[in-house]
Amino acid sequence: MTAPWRRSPKRAASGEGPWAWLAAGSVAASLALLALLLGLLAVRGLGHFWPADVAVVTLDDGRQLAGREVKEVPLSDGDGRERLYRTGNRDLDDAIWAWVDLDEIHEVDHPSGLVVLERRRWGEFIGRLEAIETESGERIVGESTWLALERRLTALAAHRDSIDVLRDQTIRPLVHRLEAGEATLGEREALAKAQARVHERQAAMPADTLVLETVDGRRLRQPLTEVVRALRPNAMGVTEKVVTWGRDVWRFLSEGPRAANTAGGVWPAIFGTILMVVLMSIFVTPFGVLAAVYLNEVAHQGRLTRWVRIGVRNLAGVPSIVYGVFGLGVFVYGIGGHLDDWFFASSLPSPTFGTGGLLWASLTLALLTLPVVIVATEEGLARIPESQREGALALGATRLEMLTRVVLPMATPAMLTGVILAVARAAGEVAPLMLVGVAKLAPQVPLDGEFPFLHLERKFMHLGYHIFDAAFHGGDVQAAMPLIYATALLLVLVILVLNLTAIFLRHHLRSRHGTLPKY
Amino acid sequence: MQHTPSSPPLRRHFRQTRDRLATALITAGGIGVIAAVMAIGVFLAVEVVPLFWSSTDTPRINLETLWLPQDYEGHRTPVHRWQPAMPEEGGESRFGMLPLVWGTLEAAAWALVIAVPLALGAAAHSALFMSRRLRARLKPTLELMEAMPGVVVGFVAGLVLAPWLDVHLALGMTLLIILPPGLLLAGGLWARLGAGLRRRLPMGWAALWLLPWLLLLWGLSSWLAPLLEAWWFDGDLRAWLEVSLGLDYANRNAIIVGMAMGFAVMPSIYALAEDALSGVPKSLVEGAEALGATRWQTLWKVVLPAAGPGVLSAVMIGAGRAVGETMIVLMASGNTALMTASPLDGLRSMAASIAIELPEAAPGGTHYRLLLLAALLLFVFTFCVNTLAEVVRSRLRRRYHRMGGAS
Amino acid sequence: MTVMQETRSSPGAFIDFSPDATSLEIRGFGLRYGDKPALANLTLRVPRHRVTAFIGPSGCGKSTLLRALNRLHDLNEEVTWEGEIRLEGQDIHAPEVAVAELRRRVGMVFQAPNPFPMSIYDNVAFGLRLQGRMPKRRVDDIVEWALRSSALWDEVKDRLRASAWSLSGGQQQRLVIARTLAVGPEVLLLDEPASALDPISTLKVEELIRNLKSSLTLVLVTHNMQQAARVSDYTAFLQNGELVEYAPTDTLFTNPRLARTENYITGRMA
Repeated sequence: MTAPWRRSPKRAASGEGPWAWLAAGSVAASLALLALLLGLLAVRGLGHFWPADVAVVTLDDGRQLAGREVKEVPLSDGDGRERLYRTGNRDLDDAIWAWVDLDEIHEVDHPSGLVVLERRRWGEFIGRLEAIETESGERIVGESTWLALERRLTALAAHRDSIDVLRDQTIRPLVHRLEAGEATLGEREALAKAQARVHERQAAMPADTLVLETVDGRRLRQPLTEVVRALRPNAMGVTEKVVTWGRDVWRFLSEGPRAANTAGGVWPAIFGTILMVVLMSIFVTPFGVLAAVYLNEVAHQGRLTRWVRIGVRNLAGVPSIVYGVFGLGVFVYGIGGHLDDWFFASSLPSPTFGTGGLLWASLTLALLTLPVVIVATEEGLARIPESQREGALALGATRLEMLTRVVLPMATPAMLTGVILAVARAAGEVAPLMLVGVAKLAPQVPLDGEFPFLHLERKFMHLGYHIFDAAFHGGDVQAAMPLIYATALLLVLVILVLNLTAIFLRHHLRSRHGTLPKY
Repeated sequence: MQHTPSSPPLRRHFRQTRDRLATALITAGGIGVIAAVMAIGVFLAVEVVPLFWSSTDTPRINLETLWLPQDYEGHRTPVHRWQPAMPEEGGESRFGMLPLVWGTLEAAAWALVIAVPLALGAAAHSALFMSRRLRARLKPTLELMEAMPGVVVGFVAGLVLAPWLDVHLALGMTLLIILPPGLLLAGGLWARLGAGLRRRLPMGWAALWLLPWLLLLWGLSSWLAPLLEAWWFDGDLRAWLEVSLGLDYANRNAIIVGMAMGFAVMPSIYALAEDALSGVPKSLVEGAEALGATRWQTLWKVVLPAAGPGVLSAVMIGAGRAVGETMIVLMASGNTALMTASPLDGLRSMAASIAIELPEAAPGGTHYRLLLLAALLLFVFTFCVNTLAEVVRSRLRRRYHRMGGAS
Repeated sequence: MTVMQETRSSPGAFIDFSPDATSLEIRGFGLRYGDKPALANLTLRVPRHRVTAFIGPSGCGKSTLLRALNRLHDLNEEVTWEGEIRLEGQDIHAPEVAVAELRRRVGMVFQAPNPFPMSIYDNVAFGLRLQGRMPKRRVDDIVEWALRSSALWDEVKDRLRASAWSLSGGQQQRLVIARTLAVGPEVLLLDEPASALDPISTLKVEELIRNLKSSLTLVLVTHNMQQAARVSDYTAFLQNGELVEYAPTDTLFTNPRLARTENYITGRMA
């Protein structure tokens, strides 16, 4: 809709009075809020991966600490400001944060020798690398220590990869067979062999020990196998930092979470979200299109159809949590409970389908997004000129042929728009999932190499729920914040891209119909 | 005639049968799908009914216990309480629905207080004042806001905004005081600008060039805030609130929920209201402007009366969304089932209660059914509000159509 | 066939064709939308391999009658009808008549060109493909023949794969005629086929209509009396859903029997 009166000759708007300015201000304020939110997510989410310099702070009383600057706020009792440092070393300090009063700071330095180690337990270590003690008791010290550490970490990563592959592809399926009581003698032997190989590999890992020292002089002996990654941020150039940043973003996207969802990556959540959404689209597309075709092409266009149409439209406005309740009551407890009674009685009382899972979650979301698809498809169908239908019928097409050969192909962009909007809505929806199948940490992804490959009854992880969980159930929220920001940014980006695609498609659809000759 | 490509009778028969079969299938499928969607209301109603006639359940539930204050152990006067699971052994569950309903409505009301002025102002500006080029870009952008997932907004509200406001309460309040007069000042200054400058800063693009002005106002506020706090509130706004108004500032409170949810529902109100305003037939607007009315007078005297129902339905749909929004309330409200009028206290909404408690409630039990009752209330409320809004909107469309507008 | 019965509503339906020469026979046909009558008690015969024109003021029911001839009203559930329409002696509403097959035999071209959003070739082949699998060569042949018959071949033969929507309005209308011809109809109904076209395209379409009558029965609805005079052999004048006069075109235009007809064709209609 355009408003052609805007084209009327310019009037002196100076006489508009005060209200017009408040109206203009509300647009500006809304834009500012949106920009603020997106900017906050982008800066905090992406900034987290930047290998910022580590500062060594010397206080007036001679104490020293090393950490990354997080934020600076005014002191609660009025004058002065204080600064928060993320210092790591939870095993030594029992905390990873330190507040420093700016007035007490004597000196801030960035020595290039500082290392930041990411460890499997206790999180980050920030300090100096003194030496590496090899198994044979050798000590590597001096300049070559860092290079030796990097070499060892590369070797370690290769070992870990090969062990993971062995675990996933050989051991896990065999263990399952064993548990099911179906394993043959040969398989038992294979299992034993594989486990022996894992032990072998583990034993072959460099069992070196790092000798570390914090800036205030405390010593720590750290087994190398616990170290995931080592960085010397102060010694890195900008290009090197960018590369590290890129690698860390990739690790965030491709790895699993660690430390109760407060560290590591979000790959299982991405995967779970995508899988759930794909399943949902598989359910919602045919049914939504079917209902729209019925409403628009087959049903008698009377008062009843009009009311049904309004009803369907309004279901899009029913709170998502209500759909969750329906999913829990009907799918999980109702259908799932009966399925368990009939087919999985052996494993009762532990439920198989009688508890939340992938299938029920995607069905619930399909129901939730059904109105979106129906409305969008119906709009597309209604926009097709009647003459196209009559043209097809006049050539001797039956109604089915008219629908499948002329009407539906023309309505395809509209359907696609509907499905994409549905996907965008489903991807951001968390409340119903909390009732029907999301998990804070799913040990097994619902799709793997085991028959039947797609495990519809399993719980799954979800980006949105990951945010909620890390923000409200995690232990150290402050430590998890950067990851939550990054996850939120990811979710918003996914939804933004989906919506933009839908807008683009809708525009495309309009312009194509624009070329329809109007004679 | 060169040819007669008539199909053989068998194929003709096949096509006919296939068509009939497909039509039957579409009909059955379509009705089935629609019935399945509509089944939600039926399911909730059926599950809730046993609450009121089964007498075997230990805690007796009837309309009185749900909606009126009750005598509970440890309270001298009858009170409303929602405490489904008592912490100590043998404690009775307390099922008063009113605190939840109160929380829901309070959150929605604050959200509307924030969203409605913002959304309607934005709609009025973009329908009547904004340049067409800017509007073509801005409207989709603001509508994209609608797709912002609740969990993200809730996270920012609960973990960023709440702690920030905790520290900068005075700044927040100063901003609220400074912004409106600041914008009016912008208008006054603009009217005094030379014609050349005014052409370079046209009203149609005010939404953009006001942004730096807002930044300036922000700076002014952060400079003024400590001063104001010192002059009026003895240097500590929170202590002052507690002492002189008796308001206790909870970290996560109704105001924060209102701001977050206002942000979330504002785009949908804006989009619908803007459609209604810009759908008013141009003949009406041109008529008013030809009589010498300013744009704002035109808006107030002509456009708004014509589009009033549409604007109202936009607000109603916004209210429906605010009532049912779950994640934002869950993450930003503190989830304390209080019944206070103070906007600085926490609250607990029905939707959030369902999300937290339903997975733990035993299916078929009283608690379970009560939560389903809450879901039913949400369903009925939103469905009715939306239907009303839809009816209003379709009437309005017909009216515009009669008036000859292209909407 | 004896002289038709004189009825109140069809005072002019006196033309007599032998049954052999009759393609469509309409007998006592009436039609209502809900409770609003649109056509009442029409009786007339449409001769085979001739062009018959329906003329009359807007809303007189001429288009409604045309659409009734290939049962397009089936789509609208509010429509009720009475009487009968016979195509080559068979009642088109008989239960054993498949409506799709009827529509193949009675093709229809609409007021505004409505090519499908496909290539030119696919548009013409659309109806053919509905009839079942056919060798590609044969489809090619028929498409070429249909496009030649509608005098479009020379204009589009190099871009058969181009979108039909890229053609001009006149070309689109001839494409639609070609599409209809391709399924081999016996009757071609034309609902003001030139009303949306420029004069040159109109002439081309009219010429096409004259050429087609050697193999087809054509029924033309038009509000343009010159057009009716130029292309049709017989003309029926309808008013208020009733048949006023039906005669060979020359007779009707030069020597109408009724004053009502004369008033209309000389432009003195109230």
